Amino acid sequence: MAATTHEPDVVHHEAHENRDKKYVLIALILAGLTVIEVLTYSIPDAFGGKASTTLIVALMVLMAIKFWTVAWFFMHLKFDKRLLTVVFYAGLSLAVLVYLAILTVFRFWGPPESHMIKNT
Amino acid sequence: MADVATTLDTSFDDAPDPDVAHGGHGYATNTGLSNTKLAMWLFLASECLLFGGLITTYLLYKIPAAGHGPAPHELYDIPFTSISSFVLLMSSLTMVLAVSSIERGDNQRFRLWIVATALLGSVFISGQVYEFSSFVSEGMGYTTSRSSSAFYTLTGFHGVHVTIGIIMLVSVLLLSHRGHLHRGNAETVEVVGLYWHFVDVVWILIFALVYLIP
Repeated sequence: MAATTHEPDVVHHEAHENRDKKYVLIALILAGLTVIEVLTYSIPDAFGGKASTTLIVALMVLMAIKFWTVAWFFMHLKFDKRLLTVVFYAGLSLAVLVYLAILTVFRFWGPPESHMIKNT
Repeated sequence: MADVATTLDTSFDDAPDPDVAHGGHGYATNTGLSNTKLAMWLFLASECLLFGGLITTYLLYKIPAAGHGPAPHELYDIPFTSISSFVLLMSSLTMVLAVSSIERGDNQRFRLWIVATALLGSVFISGQVYEFSSFVSEGMGYTTSRSSSAFYTLTGFHGVHVTIGIIMLVSVLLLSHRGHLHRGNAETVEVVGLYWHFVDVVWILIFALVYLIP
């Protein structure tokens, strides 16, 4: 009888233990992605050279994957109601759009000579 | 990579359904969500605009004019900052393990992981203080150029967020020691965790956009 009473607790505990192992695996993947990011600095030639489009795109993709992974798994967006995902990504999308517009207005995408802001 | 993503995506099927975890009825609110958690997510969404503004300002003022001191990117110590980034990333792991521990009622492990998270956060802040002081000693003060002001404001704001996070972690630890935290109100820890993870994702952006992209 006692064993039956404790069975759900044991199952619940095992489920948590499994989840913890998966969190560790995710952290290892994130650490691996960070190592690749740092490699773009130490051996830029492997990514098409310093300031190359390939290197910048690679860094942006790695950054996006890391961001999504932490938000989806560690921040529990995967497990929570969809409304929370909508709320967060609405704020993020608004920020990205507003600031992309500002960077465009200030001619950020061209060479430094074309920038509207002359730094002093 | 796709296989790993699929495996991770499907292997969390043992995670508790938020509705089931609350008696199958969710919360007694209009959204069926905890108001505290919803408020934190709304706050974090608004923080995206704050940090977006600071990152944009830095990008616009990145290159100082000649004769206005060194540019921040000339002084970066990437190996050192990489270690700091790794430390903050690992603090996200210890935080999620703390949430998992309190959810299963394991207070001992919960306290252990919270202390580990706070310590890793403190190591990150110490690294930032060291970085700032070495930049100042190399001639880049807050008012040296617009570029340096934008850099210190961005990374300084992030550092303040990490510090507030550490204060929240210590508060949660004290609450636990006094017996106010248990499996039933694990959501308090989860909300603190949300803030902490957000601070981590902001650093993921800063590390790539400010430090690594030439």
